[in-house]
Amino acid sequence: MGDAILVEDVYFSYEGLPVLKGVTLTVRTGEVLAIMGENGAGKTTLIKHFVGLLKPERGRVLVFGVDTREASVAQLARRVGVIFQNPDHQLFAESVEGEILFTLRNMGYPPDEARAICERVLKLFELDRYRGRSPYSLSVGERKRLAIAAVVSYNPDVLVLDEPTAGQDFFNKSKISRLIFGLKRQGKGVVVVTHDVEFAAQVADRVALMVDGRVIREGPAGEVLTDAEALKRARLTMPQIPAAAALLEAEGLKLPSKPLLPGSFYLELLDLLNHRWVGP
Amino acid sequence: MALVELKGVRFRYAGSDRYALDGASLSAERGEFVLLVGPSGCGKSTLLRVLNGLVPHFYEGDFEGEARVAGLDVRSTPTHVLARHVGMVFQDPENQLFLSSVEREIAFGLENLGLPRAEVRRRVREVLKEFNLESIKDRAPYELSGGQQQKVAIASVMALEPEILALDEPTANLDPLSALEILSLVKRLTSEKGVLALVVEHRLELALKFATRMVVMLDGRIVADGAPRDVLLRTGSIVGYPPVVVTHLLLKRRGLAEGSIPLTSEELARAVIGRWATRYS
Amino acid sequence: MSARVLDIFRFRRKRTPLHALDPRAKFVMLVALSAASLALSDAVSLSALLAVEAALLAVAKSLREWARSLAGLSTLLLLIFALNFLTLPADRLFVAAAMTLRFLCLTTAFSIFFLTTTADELAAALEVSGVPREYSMMFTMSLRFVPSLARDLQTVADALKSRGFELEKGGLKERVRNYTYLLVPLIVYELRRSIMVAEALEARGFGAAKKVEPYVDLSLRARDYVAIAVSAIALCAVIWVVASGVYGSFVNQVRAYFPQL
Ligand SMILES: Nc1ncnc2c1ncn2[C@@H]1O[C@H](COP(=O)(O)OP(=O)(O)OP(=O)(O)O)[C@@H](O)[C@H]1O
Ligand SMILES: Nc1ncnc2c1ncn2[C@@H]1O[C@H](COP(=O)(O)OP(=O)(O)OP(=O)(O)O)[C@@H](O)[C@H]1O
Ligand SMILES: [Mg+2]
Ligand SMILES: [Mg+2]
Repeated sequence: MGDAILVEDVYFSYEGLPVLKGVTLTVRTGEVLAIMGENGAGKTTLIKHFVGLLKPERGRVLVFGVDTREASVAQLARRVGVIFQNPDHQLFAESVEGEILFTLRNMGYPPDEARAICERVLKLFELDRYRGRSPYSLSVGERKRLAIAAVVSYNPDVLVLDEPTAGQDFFNKSKISRLIFGLKRQGKGVVVVTHDVEFAAQVADRVALMVDGRVIREGPAGEVLTDAEALKRARLTMPQIPAAAALLEAEGLKLPSKPLLPGSFYLELLDLLNHRWVGP
Repeated sequence: MALVELKGVRFRYAGSDRYALDGASLSAERGEFVLLVGPSGCGKSTLLRVLNGLVPHFYEGDFEGEARVAGLDVRSTPTHVLARHVGMVFQDPENQLFLSSVEREIAFGLENLGLPRAEVRRRVREVLKEFNLESIKDRAPYELSGGQQQKVAIASVMALEPEILALDEPTANLDPLSALEILSLVKRLTSEKGVLALVVEHRLELALKFATRMVVMLDGRIVADGAPRDVLLRTGSIVGYPPVVVTHLLLKRRGLAEGSIPLTSEELARAVIGRWATRYS
Repeated sequence: MSARVLDIFRFRRKRTPLHALDPRAKFVMLVALSAASLALSDAVSLSALLAVEAALLAVAKSLREWARSLAGLSTLLLLIFALNFLTLPADRLFVAAAMTLRFLCLTTAFSIFFLTTTADELAAALEVSGVPREYSMMFTMSLRFVPSLARDLQTVADALKSRGFELEKGGLKERVRNYTYLLVPLIVYELRRSIMVAEALEARGFGAAKKVEPYVDLSLRARDYVAIAVSAIALCAVIWVVASGVYGSFVNQVRAYFPQL
């Protein structure tokens, strides 16, 4: 696991409206970082700094050692792929296939290599049967997947997804989480900006909570997503499993670990209910 | 007759080759909080559009079957008449708030009905008070937070005093606390004013606890309809089980849980504590 | 030039006498100020006009917004100045300065109006003056969605750039082609948006009643009459000064005073 993006005490404002007020954060390869927090906290603004779309007014952002002020967006985008929230803002080609080839061409891939990659990616994302169709004729979920596919195709080291699950149904949500696990296994760094605490509990290794332009809490998912007070400040709810565990603890049934997901919670409960372990 | 009465409604958008609604039947009464779920493209938005006549008046296409809302036949009643009975709130606040202040936003629908200014003023004052918006009445909607914007959107349709509130993914872009505030507000309208609410929402873990009824759609049809716990148990493979339900089902397989499924962490915790107490104390 | 330049026309809510004025009174004021900007053609009187406008902006407590947007407009102002200066045969400095000032006065006149008048006040004024509600609403909508459009444009450009596409690359022809990549998603999205907006309008009963009484009670009060009268008199005075030839001799005197320009 290496440091991919270093955000060092970054300040940014839109026409005099301060939005980032001293953000420090590290994105590492091989792990999933969830950035969460209230509406308007500055999450989208922050991730735009990761590829130099916005430049810090104070502080600096280093992408694999390169200061974003000293490189073009096109150069930075090779290493950091950003997928914005609304797929309708980011589909440019006439066909599904063309969308991926367009990106590969921008990234300087030779045509035959691009074709081969395109085939593989279309299969991976279950989009191959739509290859000739216009991107705009796909469903919301499919458009979202296509936007992700286009970025994954050129193999950046870090992927940044803004609200990947907003408005997505159960099937698509599971597909997206599987995809994120796949990317992590390949050693990529993944950043997800999300309001969905259950999704974060499922995919994130680390969580950063933002409030009013600052990161108020950052750490392993198991710690941050169980910190009731910090979650409340960031206008988040606690995921269901840690919330249930906290209620048990309040009744004197403290579990030895802090489970986030049903699987591990269930194992703890087995121990508890079969009395192999007795509370304090 | 029920407040909403759909019988075998089929609808195909002009130019489309498949039916977005393919024999949907639903009847709902005052005071219900109906959670409408199903995979993307199954026809949820289309169903809501039938309620205020956007389908088939605004969106044209082939319409079959019977649709009655507040006793009015949707096919022969224009949307602006149905708008007095059905308040519709959409996902994106930006595209449903048009005016330069919250107060004017709330007045807009009433103005449209051609009510005299004094009457509009009176209703606006009432609504501002009821929704606790007095302190922000002069602010521009676009300066507000996402949650406040959705609240204004709800208030501005509730000004027309509809008996039905239809919300299409009202919380998709909101942080969880704002989302809960919006859903609680809707819940309050159903229980205190007897409004019938139909809410589309993908995040079951947020919405289930408010629902009195859950309706699941698939390919333009309603495939399950009833009490949230029963429906969820039957359709989990389509809509997904929230984490507390997964835990419950795992425990149940080992004989460590019984009874109906929990919808919240409180319910799950209570069941576990109960179990633990009966076993070991 | 960015969307920020448009800020000079964006309403800010403030409590000032100018904000409280009836939109129709402000409209007459706008007409008077624009007419004066167009009628006057020497740097001295245009500077005086600009001073009057600055005073009005000060009353509206909007000098700062105006000044900030001017920074964004400075390129355009320089361009106007340079083009005039380089292409004119004679009196180059004098005329170029006057043209630049004229543009500034005109922009400021509109800025005073839009900084202090909301889109729906304006729509109400149109309705009261007999414009059908559909049209006045169309007007409100087009103003209302300017910032949204600007934001969408930004997002699409950001997405395009982060796909490694360089908008500013190549010669003029290539750049124009590059921008079509930007336009496709933008147009598709704005179409979608317009449908969503239309749906929301329908759902609020838009078009239900033929006759609608606007919520904003537009009735002219004493101060509105005063503003209208002052603007009208100023307008007449400008017209008279120009038409009677008094202004022409004034300009000649000014010219004579600065022979070296
Ligand atoms: N292009 C822009 N111009 C001016 N202000 C902006 C712009 N983009 C965002 N803002 C403002 O900056 C603040 C932070 O916005 P940002 O989009 O980064 O928040 P966010 O954390 O992503 O919120 P959300 O959860 O609602 O997506 C908000 O107050 C927003 O209104
Ligand atoms: N304006 C339209 N013209 C043609 N077809 C449409 C239109 N709107 C929706 N459809 C089609 O009708 C079907 C149902 O769409 P609908 O929007 O009702 O689904 P939904 O359940 O709301 O999905 P989502 O969860 O993605 O919002 C889909 O196949 C969709 O492609
Ligand atoms: Mg955001
Ligand atoms: Mg929908």
